[in-house]
Amino acid sequence: MESNIEVTGLRKRFGAVTALDGMTFTVAAGKITGFVGPNGAGKSTTMRVILGLDAADEGRVLIGGQPYRALRRPLRHVGALLDAAALQPSRTGRDHLLWLAHSQGLTAKRVDAVAGQVGLGAAARRRAGGYSLGMRQRLGIAAALLGEPRVLLLDEPFNGLDPDGIVWIRDLLASLAADGRAVLVSSHLMSELQGVADHLVVAGRGRVVADASVADLIAAASGDRVLLRTAARPEAMTVLAEAGATVAVTGRDTLTVAGLAAERVVALLTAHAVPFAEVAGHRATLEEAYMELTRDAVEFRADGAR
Amino acid sequence: MTGLLRAEWTKFRTVRGWVLGMVLAALIIVLLGVFTAANNYSSCEGPDGDDCPAVPLGPDGSAVNDRFSFAHQVLDGDGEVTVRVASLTGTITYPPPDHDKIVPGVVPWAKAGIMIKESVRQGSAYAAMMVTGGHGTRLQHNFDGDAAGSPGASWLRLTRAGDTITGAESADGVRWTTVGTVRLAGLPPIVRVGLFAASPCDLTVTQGDLGGTIGKCRLARAVAAFDHVSLAGNPWTHDDVGAMRGAPALSQGAFRESGDTFTVSGSGDIGPYGLEGGQPVERTLSGAYTGLIVVIVVAVMFITAEYRRGMIRTTLLASPRRGRVLVAKALVLGAVTFVTALIAALVAVPLCRRILRGNGNYLLPVSTATELRVVLGTAALLAVAAVLALAVGALFRRSAAAVITAITVIVLPHVLATASVLPVELSQWLLRLTPAAGFAIQQSVPEYPQVTGHYVPQMGYYPLPPWGGFGVLCGYAALALGLAVVQLRRRDA
Amino acid sequence: MKLELHAEWTKLRTLAGTCWALAAIAVLTVAFGAAAGAATTCASARCNHDAVKLALTGVQVSQAAVAVLAVLAITGEYGTGMIRATFTAMPRRSAVLAAKAAVLAGLTLVAAVVGVLGSVLAARLILPGRGFTPEHGYPLLSLADGPVLRAAAGSALYLTLIALLCLGVATAVRDSAAAVGVVLGLLYLFPILIRAISDPGWQRLLVRISPMNAGLAIQATTNLDLQPIGPWAGLGVLTAWAVAALACGGLLLRLRDA
Repeated sequence: MESNIEVTGLRKRFGAVTALDGMTFTVAAGKITGFVGPNGAGKSTTMRVILGLDAADEGRVLIGGQPYRALRRPLRHVGALLDAAALQPSRTGRDHLLWLAHSQGLTAKRVDAVAGQVGLGAAARRRAGGYSLGMRQRLGIAAALLGEPRVLLLDEPFNGLDPDGIVWIRDLLASLAADGRAVLVSSHLMSELQGVADHLVVAGRGRVVADASVADLIAAASGDRVLLRTAARPEAMTVLAEAGATVAVTGRDTLTVAGLAAERVVALLTAHAVPFAEVAGHRATLEEAYMELTRDAVEFRADGAR
Repeated sequence: MTGLLRAEWTKFRTVRGWVLGMVLAALIIVLLGVFTAANNYSSCEGPDGDDCPAVPLGPDGSAVNDRFSFAHQVLDGDGEVTVRVASLTGTITYPPPDHDKIVPGVVPWAKAGIMIKESVRQGSAYAAMMVTGGHGTRLQHNFDGDAAGSPGASWLRLTRAGDTITGAESADGVRWTTVGTVRLAGLPPIVRVGLFAASPCDLTVTQGDLGGTIGKCRLARAVAAFDHVSLAGNPWTHDDVGAMRGAPALSQGAFRESGDTFTVSGSGDIGPYGLEGGQPVERTLSGAYTGLIVVIVVAVMFITAEYRRGMIRTTLLASPRRGRVLVAKALVLGAVTFVTALIAALVAVPLCRRILRGNGNYLLPVSTATELRVVLGTAALLAVAAVLALAVGALFRRSAAAVITAITVIVLPHVLATASVLPVELSQWLLRLTPAAGFAIQQSVPEYPQVTGHYVPQMGYYPLPPWGGFGVLCGYAALALGLAVVQLRRRDA
Repeated sequence: MKLELHAEWTKLRTLAGTCWALAAIAVLTVAFGAAAGAATTCASARCNHDAVKLALTGVQVSQAAVAVLAVLAITGEYGTGMIRATFTAMPRRSAVLAAKAAVLAGLTLVAAVVGVLGSVLAARLILPGRGFTPEHGYPLLSLADGPVLRAAAGSALYLTLIALLCLGVATAVRDSAAAVGVVLGLLYLFPILIRAISDPGWQRLLVRISPMNAGLAIQATTNLDLQPIGPWAGLGVLTAWAVAALACGGLLLRLRDA
């Protein structure tokens, strides 16, 4: 089976609210695809539709060419982490994995292997009700890995993990993608995905706002802006503005210059004998790229921030 | 499907509270059975001391009534007997409304006619053609066999050929109609044949002072005059079959011969034994109602726990074919409940029987088939009720509302029908229309139309036959499970 | 205490199911009482029915709706973890329970009074047509009549006390399904047992200690001398159950972690 996810034209309304409005994207094998967007952008609904939990009014989702509900032993194809708190508190972590294993025709051996893989260790035989947030998250990831699936969907996997845990999961995700699996990781914090995701799908107001590789996104957001540090701010602004650049003040002695290449800026300033301390090509962070893209797509934002 | 079943079984057994709930349900069934048995006493005061007289057993081993006045002679080999019942009259002692005098009257099931009987021993095989007070002529045999003739006939005939006996009737003694042919297996060559009369008591039902109804039965006696008796000329013997020593004079049988007319009078009845005066096997399982409440709670939790924690999403990820998930859950829960209840019943029945017998109670004998039906049926009743509760839980997704609804439709109608001021008709409709109809599977002694009895839910008689009532419960369970599957498929998880 | 009362009132008022449960209490009381009345006939002066008890039979069904309301008033908070917010805002846990009990009792009483009045009205309309006439010894039901008033007011109090019993059990048990099971088990166990045994001493004892049988003795207006327990004494037994349950719930509330 091909390991990819194709999401095509999903639409879904909850009463008067449009949750999904033509959501379309593809998750490719061998890559970690980040799925980001502000709260209410439709990320969770999309993931639930992918997993056959919710039905879309329109559109379809194929996993390796098949709808989720047609999969016979789905956890052997797709692993998912949705809500790590969705546990029966009086059942032990191992027993939770055990019933899942039985539903896929897997044995207790696989349960113990996967519990060891996520580092649950002895805690697996304790009642899940007493687990910390981090342990629940590890149990949820163990459940996702149980059937050794070719496709993984993880909703906010970094939630509640300590720094060690975050490093662990980043490495885990990287190794899963390196095996040729398709990995979709959702997050509302772009910074969590920086350095993890190879590809990004940015959602806003129920549709895809951007769908590109991380490198392309950052380049696009960076534009051809140049960061300039100078003590002679007014002179620099005059010179550059006359040359046709758009100049913005960003600090006591810093400016951002758009519309001119860095070499040209250096040449102009030198020609007019304006002193400067630093000229650098500006590189946007993933966070900035994201803010740029979703500026219009944020549904709820405090009025003061507008 | 096997994987699904295993998964649901693992889910069930790994939550200690649910397993303990099932154990509690089993304990309740046993302990309440013991409590009930320990508080049912019976004793008789009479010439034989405190021991109650033995209840005769019919040819098939079931308890029977066999008390009547019988004037008889020998019948050797095949033969035929014909009589005309000239009149059937009687007296009722202290009848309503004023309950203070003895008046003439014939109760509907007063009976008189001719009988071929293996011997005068109570419970021995017989066949009889008779006229009755209000139900025309009948051909009855071996206590529960009953075939109706016509209302107007007064000539009766019995013909024996080997072990088959044919009953016939006639209005004029000329044109005869066969009412039926019955086979009395193993009937010996030499038997008794003769004239008999019996009258069951006169049942009056009144509203109880504290709710419910009370049936009172007043002593009645039938007097039958026979002529055109084909047996005339041979010597007669009269026996008051089954008469108790020291019984009131009014209940004693008599036989008088004057010319061609023979008069037989007597009271009592010939037929199956009802619930009165004995403890049926289902008495030992009266803890099932309360055990069921615990089972319902566990059943509802088995599904609503998934909704409360959002675990249903994990379940549906593992098994996206939703209908199967619910069916697997129902099968696992049904099987667990069935086994639990069966173990409890297998412990409770012999234990409570021993206690009941120790308290002087007469245990109504049941056939193995009926006992199996009651024991397995009780386990099945709890299992199907658990599935119904599970389906209600899946439909409501809220445990409190689901538990209340399940208990209100399964247990409450039974409580209302047997322990409230509701009139009998309404009680019976409650036990026909609600899932509580399923409790009928426990009834071991059937209602016989040919036996006068106070057939009301309060006394342990259900308006539907055992499997019919159980079918109603199964219907509700199937309907609820079907709706739950449809809803689970349609709704977003 | 005033603040707690106000908070609990707002909480219960804004709970989605409250209105439905209250409506169900009133409707079930009237509907089932009317159905029982319509199904009964009194053919003669000796029909020996307790017309008042018959008219108020609906209480036995509507107590299920009372149980839903009362149980959800507390287990809803445990189910969602909101109980921690409640105790953070109002650390005096006994006062919270007392306020909850007061608000719940008030609301239940209102719904129960509506249901009971409706039942009496329905009985006035239905029963005379079913043979419950003055000639058969049944004057038109009237609340001006002492025993009728006692039965009617007592039935409303019965439902209120059932609500408090449920609240106490639910506070102790914390899980809604288990709480409902315990309460209904407690209510229905006794009538089933009483029917199954033949020992009259035990029967009378069970009636006297049973929350449902003893509590409903308040509805009796005929054969009072034959009842195993008097009307007010019976309601007292139910009160004792409710107080014991609330005390038990309150104690556990103080002792246990939220």
